[in-house]
Amino acid sequence: MAASGSALRMRGISKTFPGVKALSDVSLCAEYGRVHAIVGENGAGKSTLMKILSGAYPPSAGTTEVDGAEVRMRKPADAQKLGIRMVHQELNLVPDLSVAENVYLGRMPRRRGFVDRAAMLRDTKAVLEELGAAIDPKVRLGELSISQQQLVEIAKAYSAGPRIIVLDEPTSSLSEHETAALFRILRTMKAAGIAIIYISHRLKEVLEIADDVTVLRDGRLIDTRPAAGITAAEMIRLMVGREVTNVFPKTPSEIGTPVLKVVGLGDGRDFQDISFEVRAGEILGLTGLVGAGRTELARAIFGLTPASEGRIEINGMAAAITSPAAAVKAGIAYVPEDRKDSGIIPSMSVRENISLPVLRRLSRLGRVSMSADRRLATKYTRDFAIAPPDPERRIEQLSGGNQQKAVIARWLSTSPSVLILDEPTRGVDVGAKAEIHRIIGELVAGGMAVVMISSELPEVLGVCDRVVVMRDGRASPPVARAEFSEERIMALATGEAAA
Amino acid sequence: MTDASAALSEETGSTRFRKDGRWAALLSRAGLSIAILAVIAYGSAVSPVFFTTGNLVNVMTSMAIIGIVVVGMTFVLVVGGLADLSVPATIACGAILSLALQPMIGPVPAFVAAIGLAGLCGLVSGVLVGYVGINPIIATLGIGTIVLGIVQASVGGVIVYGTNPETAMLVKSRLFGIPTIVLIFLAVALAGNFLLARSWWGRWTFATGGNPKAAEAAAVPVRAVKAGAFVITGLCSGLSGALLGLTLQSARPLVGTGYEFSAITAVVVGGVSIMGGAGSVPRAVAGLVFVQLLTNVMVLQGVRTPVQGLVLGLLIAGAVALDVALRRRGGA
Repeated sequence: MAASGSALRMRGISKTFPGVKALSDVSLCAEYGRVHAIVGENGAGKSTLMKILSGAYPPSAGTTEVDGAEVRMRKPADAQKLGIRMVHQELNLVPDLSVAENVYLGRMPRRRGFVDRAAMLRDTKAVLEELGAAIDPKVRLGELSISQQQLVEIAKAYSAGPRIIVLDEPTSSLSEHETAALFRILRTMKAAGIAIIYISHRLKEVLEIADDVTVLRDGRLIDTRPAAGITAAEMIRLMVGREVTNVFPKTPSEIGTPVLKVVGLGDGRDFQDISFEVRAGEILGLTGLVGAGRTELARAIFGLTPASEGRIEINGMAAAITSPAAAVKAGIAYVPEDRKDSGIIPSMSVRENISLPVLRRLSRLGRVSMSADRRLATKYTRDFAIAPPDPERRIEQLSGGNQQKAVIARWLSTSPSVLILDEPTRGVDVGAKAEIHRIIGELVAGGMAVVMISSELPEVLGVCDRVVVMRDGRASPPVARAEFSEERIMALATGEAAA
Repeated sequence: MTDASAALSEETGSTRFRKDGRWAALLSRAGLSIAILAVIAYGSAVSPVFFTTGNLVNVMTSMAIIGIVVVGMTFVLVVGGLADLSVPATIACGAILSLALQPMIGPVPAFVAAIGLAGLCGLVSGVLVGYVGINPIIATLGIGTIVLGIVQASVGGVIVYGTNPETAMLVKSRLFGIPTIVLIFLAVALAGNFLLARSWWGRWTFATGGNPKAAEAAAVPVRAVKAGAFVITGLCSGLSGALLGLTLQSARPLVGTGYEFSAITAVVVGGVSIMGGAGSVPRAVAGLVFVQLLTNVMVLQGVRTPVQGLVLGLLIAGAVALDVALRRRGGA
């Protein structure tokens, strides 16, 4: 297994999705027996790069060499054949199978056509012992804790005898103690001469385990350096360090009294003890890394998955938000994160999508008044400049930005006092983004309170009046606009001290 | 009926096909009407009996009983609830109770109680599917088996006979030459079409079937809407069963066997999507008309039963394949 020279050399990798350049001209070089960390903000291109490495996406340009020979991977099986193994953030395991069956899933040892269970159990036991994990190979996977399952996932990759292992945020569900155990395993694998690629947001861990660090930003390679000479603050600067031009002009508005107040909100799982308030005419940013609990918090405030602890107040009155209908009645509106998955009803027209929450108000004796329905759709199509300006068109035929405008329009007829927007501009083009910002600006100018969840720091800093940063399910105290800086927000999001 | 259904489907059934090619759009909109006309033309040409008042009234009468179930089943498919397999049980519930309760509480209350209890069965299935989240096939199969068991036990597993022949006369009577039962079916179809195509409940049904997550995030009570579709089907099959019982003046516990399959066939052949979010009552009824006429022609021609089954099976497979193909082209 030991070899001289680079295990992996990716050169000039670019990847273009329709309308988006996810990666441009990124190069990466990993050596045997070393841990190479890749860091970057959400959307910097880390996942795309790893998907190319694992054969899930073909690159638009660039070459990949494994062991000095150029390779072309069309599907994940090709990458596996080359000895590249992924350990995914979301575990790819079957809860109802045993640990051993999971480790050897799809490549179980066979004898005379039958699975050789004895050999499988023996080998699994050996691998787990080698990794220093005290797990019984016979036990059903679903009975293990998440961190033990993570170890099984690593054992699964390790047992295949890989040359390169990619770990994507392996510590996101691990405690400090478990992280230390993971690091022992990584050092074992390192000693065995495996090249390890380690993706993480946790800069402290990166400094602890990595030999080399590559920083990506906006789909570009910023720098690759030995980890020895770098500090967390420097990494943050490299991750963030873009020219802060004011591409997000802020519409001035008068800030009034608190409209939505959240006190000690928690769901016992994804977020705990969240308190903040949003005032009329204010845009409160809610940011943090993916998985910090922002969306879960928003869903709880809107009653989709009601919180188990804490309380919500609207205009100073306690509100029992047990369902979306209750939230609408209390004056809360919510534009979900994934437009295609939970925003639009693709089979319905723009008109039908817009009037959904107010249908009963548009009805008499159960019958929806078509004229009222059309009037509403026409009004918002015009006000929001939805293109094409035909409310009868099926919404899935519109561009992402126009779909989003229709989803926002849906709520305005309920006259909400608080609007929660979850990543409202993700995946929309620059022009539509500016229009959505303009719409949000007009709404707050009219006295609405807005909570905007966004992973995009320049957007958060450009548009918001105050920002609350979430990390591991907890919220920071609000940062006022006067104190905004990318470094400060990033430091709060990653839990590292800023420079 | 065909003209009416074509006219009504203008309003509701057309949106999902808008993106497809002109031929596909034409075929999907007018295809069924053309097919129905073709069957009528063929039937009239090859059989002297087919295009007679007697035969057509027979077809319409048998169609009416299934047709009422079809109206309910359309809601289940549109809401994304796959299918309601408890129909045989709810039909039996309607048929047996409407006869068995007659001596105790009188014919009209018996009729109403039978339908109400069938609706209650639908509510139980609906709660299991909508609120508990059990797969609809499993939930309705389970509830259907339980209800059938209860009904069977309560009547001792034997045939129940009617005690009030006047009620049979009422059901079998005709208005302007049209059997009353057919008129009842038409009324149910019109009401179903209003509910699905014009009311806010119908719009919620389409939204829930189209994308339940987005519908929920738009404050649509998706659980209740899902459950509602099964209640509607329960009520429809109860009515259908009660009418069947009064017509036959006798009811066995297995009286409804096979109706669930006939209803699903009609709805699917009518182009209502098994994946939810698209369809209409007129389309489903057109599917029923087509299947019924085709079956009638085959019977008159002496086509053997296994072959009839083969033809109907191919029709379903073809309709589902077309649905999948259209969906794929629609980009969903």
